[in-house]
Parts: sequence; structure tokens; C-alpha cells
Amino acid sequence: MTQQLTERDVRDIATYARIGLTDEELAQMTVDLNSIIETLKPITEFDLESVDPTFHPIGGLSNVMREDVEVPGFTQEQALSNAPKQQDGSFLIPAILGGGDQ
Amino acid sequence: MAYNANMNVADIRAGLLAGDFTAREVAEASFKRIEELDGEVHAFLELTKDAAFEQAAKIDEALANGTFDEMGPLAGVPVAFKDNMNYEGTHTTCSSLMLENYVSPYTATCVAKTIEAGGIPLGKLNMDEFAFGSSTETSAFGPTKNPWDLERVPGGSSGGSAASVAAGLACVTLGSDTGGSIRQPAAFCGIVGVKPTYGMVSRYGVVAFGSSLDQVGPFARSVRDAAAAMDAICGHDPMDCTSQYVKADFRAACEQGVEGMRIGVVPGFMNAPGLTDEVKARVSEATEALREAGAEIVEVELPHADAAISAYYVLGPCEAFSNLARFDSVRYGYCAEGHKDLGSQYEASRAAGFGMEAKRRIMLGSYLLSSGVYEKYYYPAQQVRTLITQDYQAAYEKCDVILAPTSPRTAFKFGEIGDPVEMHLSDIFTVSINIAGNGGMSVPCGLGSDTGLPVGVQLIAPQFKDENMFRAAAALEAVYGAAPIAPDFAAGKAGE
Repeated sequence: MTQQLTERDVRDIATYARIGLTDEELAQMTVDLNSIIETLKPITEFDLESVDPTFHPIGGLSNVMREDVEVPGFTQEQALSNAPKQQDGSFLIPAILGGGDQ
Repeated sequence: MAYNANMNVADIRAGLLAGDFTAREVAEASFKRIEELDGEVHAFLELTKDAAFEQAAKIDEALANGTFDEMGPLAGVPVAFKDNMNYEGTHTTCSSLMLENYVSPYTATCVAKTIEAGGIPLGKLNMDEFAFGSSTETSAFGPTKNPWDLERVPGGSSGGSAASVAAGLACVTLGSDTGGSIRQPAAFCGIVGVKPTYGMVSRYGVVAFGSSLDQVGPFARSVRDAAAAMDAICGHDPMDCTSQYVKADFRAACEQGVEGMRIGVVPGFMNAPGLTDEVKARVSEATEALREAGAEIVEVELPHADAAISAYYVLGPCEAFSNLARFDSVRYGYCAEGHKDLGSQYEASRAAGFGMEAKRRIMLGSYLLSSGVYEKYYYPAQQVRTLITQDYQAAYEKCDVILAPTSPRTAFKFGEIGDPVEMHLSDIFTVSINIAGNGGMSVPCGLGSDTGLPVGVQLIAPQFKDENMFRAAAALEAVYGAAPIAPDFAAGKAGE
């Protein structure tokens, strides 16, 4: 048995993933994550001493560069077309400094 | 003969050229069927009538001008797209509340190529939320139903793409496959579903789930229709740096036969604990059918296949966690009102916008990538990927294509599998192909003797030798015939 995640651990993970969870959801999530993590155990049991990792399924790829030629992109209007809030041609977000009271 | 929903790509082409019907009539008949029958299936999330009739007009004009032959391999064919594919002016929701109101400002390459090839775009198709699931039950807009039995799931995540083809509501659709999301629903709905080799089809404009695993591919009721779609969408795209220059002719591959071809069978798969007897029996018959068609059957081993599912449930969530970080409630997507600081706006928006399975995978990825845990799971999973890839390479020294079940069982009932771990096991025969980046496709091979539901056999090709699997698939189709529309939706039901 691997060491189980506690509700406190899961709360920390949720904070890092920027997902708000109710206490009820937190309890269920803790159960679910522990049961999924248990099934991942085979990964920890292989002898992988001399095995290189494969981060990408196709070998022999290199970075693709294109000529530095101007091509049309989104207009400002298109780029903002799905923004929940906008102001003066920019994305609008709540204040990030000053405790949010301004 | 007037157009009807049973027609395949070649029938439609012949009918248009003979003047039996117009592309406009194809579009009209398609929307009529969708309006009469999709209430039961719920495959479509949005219809694109204006684009369809505009495309139909172009095709009819080409027929009148004698330029029809210059149109692509899907000219006049009713097509539709999984709702994680951007198509300018349509909603692209990924079946998530997070993107309920998102309108695509551009078009994915696979969508653009399908339309350039002459496809008549009918609309966008339901899926598991952000492609997280194997049943479409996680769609925020309600599940899609299996046309063979409306009490059963169509599979997933590309459930709408499979069900629409099985119900004869579209001829060819596109889906995406990260761990089995094209092949498993194709098997459950009794049709053909293709996950090409990683890099064969551009993913530009397809909402990313697991970027080292995702691939786009077609669904159809016949192997040759799927081949026509592959010929249309395959190829390099400067907008997707993982897409490759490939030269392939899938329609030609279908005519090559399997004489002398070596088909690999994996005893470990055929004796897997969860494999049902009815699926095993049908897949064994399919193996025999290929032998009788002239192929040589050889046994091959994939010793690390057991590790694939755990490697997948490490890599998939880690990549999903990273990809879904883009949903920040600022640039697009759902934004919770009334928050005075950005952090609480993020948390509240992502809490309300994502469903439970999406949250589980994001959280799992977040945990697995954290310091100390990364070394225990993520890095070893990438090493296991090397072992799985080497297994396939060794196996392909002995064979040209591997044959396996697509899914351990036929379609299950709604709510039958509630435990996420058990749901993940339905991908047991499909995930290793994504991990190794090979091509794989599911082809119908009859109905299960216990459930009476469709069974799919999976053909797995070496990287970039996807034509091999089309050769074997066409040989199977010569035995089993092309897939029918599900009986309750047979053409004629919408009063054609």
C-alpha cells in the first residue's frame, strides 16, 4: 500500500491546480485520487535502471523554424472576441495588488 | 436512385456524377434525418446549415461546370466534427460548461482539409468533457446514446462522432484519440474508427488533452470511406510541428489484399482477464478470416503491455493538467462573477466550469508532477514508454500488423460503470498504441453471441505504415461486409 493522500494534501493540490472544492467534493476527491494512485503502482515496480525515457513518441525530430516573414494573425478584435471581460482593447482582470479592495 | 443515408462515399460520388441527385439534396436529406432522429441519439451539439448549403452549392456548381473531378475525395459527402475541433464561427465547447459560449475564431486544419476535400459540414458532435472518458457520460450537455441500444453508451470520448455514423446521420466524421477515444466508440457502435500514427494528421486547432498522445482520425461505415477521409486529412501542416511529411495512399492500400502479409496475434491480449468470451470468439474468427484470405498468422509478445494502462494514467493526466491550465477565465472560457482578486476568480471559475472527471484528471496531474512524486511516477512512466515502444519494434520484426480486441467487452449500460478505475480499464487494449505512437484502427467483426451488440477487432500498424492496417481492414470487410446503419435507424426511418 502506498502512502495515502490526506484531505489536507488534496486541498494543497487543488490550490496549486486552481480548482475550488467544497468540503464534500474534497472528501470524494481524496477517495478517488487514492484509488487511482493505487492502480499506478506497477510503474514504481519496474527495473528501469538503464532505460532512457521517451518523452515523445516519434524519434528524430528537431525544432521546426520558419522564415521570419510577416504573416497575418488575429486582429485585436478577434483575439478579444471570447474574453469574458474586456476594457480598452485589453483583457480585464480583478486587481492583483492591494488586497483587491481598489 | 435518390440519395439515401446508406450510401457510401463512392455511391454519393457516382450518384452526383450521374445526376441522380444534387449535393443540395444530400444536405437537405441529411438535416431531415438529423432533425427526426437525433433527438433519440443526441450526437449533435450544433448544426452548421449555412456552411453545408454553401458547400453544397459549390459542389453543384462544379457538377454543372464539369469541374467536379477537381474536387477532393469527399466531394458531396455529409461530414461532422467532434466538438473539440475549432471551426470558425461555430461553438467549440469540448462538451464543457467551461467553453459553453466559446465561438471559434479560426478553423482546425483537419476540419479545413475535410471541407477542402468536398465534405458537406453538418455540425459538431458530442463527446466526453475535454475527451476525459470512455462513454460520453461526462459531457456537460448530456450523454450520447448508442444507436444499437439506446440504454447503452456509445463509448467515448468521441461518442457523438461514432453514434452519428452508426445511426446514419453522417457518412464520415472526425474524432480524436488519446487512449482509445476513436477506436473504442467505433467498436461499441459497430463501425470503422481510425487512430493514425502520431504525426500523420495535424492537430492544429484541436483542443489539446495529452499532447504526446493525441491524434485525429476518421469514423465511417466502410474501410474505403475511412481511407478516403484519411487521404483527405493526412499530411504535413506547418502549424503543427509534430506533423510529418508522409506519402500514403489509403484508398490504394485497400485494394492490395493480404496475400503474404504477416498478422501478429498477442497471446497475452487474447487471454487477458477482463476479455469477455463473446469478444474473444469474434476476434478469433476475424484472425481466421485473415488467414483464409492469404495472410500468415504469427504469435508475437508485448511483455510490457500490462504497464501501459498505468503509464497512460500517469502521462495523460500530467499532460492534461498542463494543457488545461490555459482555462484561466480571462482570455476565454467561463468566468465566475463577483471576485475581487484574480486567485479566487481562477478557483471559482475552474470549480464551476470543469466537471468532476476533468477535475480528477487535472488534480491527478498536478499531484504527479509535484516534486518528489515526479521522480516516482512521471519519469518512470516515460521510461516504461521506452519499453513499450521497444516491444512493438521487436514485434514488428515478425509481423506487418498486429491484431487484437479493441475493447474487452461490448457497449455497457448507462451508469453500469461508476468507478473511475474500472472505467479506465476499458482502454486496456488501446492505450499502449498511443504511448508508442503507432497507428491503430477498429473494424467491425460481427455481433457478440451473448449481448447481440457489435464487436470490434483492432489492427495495429508500425509507425507510419498505417496502409498495412487498411490492407488487413479491407480484407476483413470483404468477409464481413461494410457496417450497416444500426437496425433501429435503418435508412427509410426518416421517411426517405
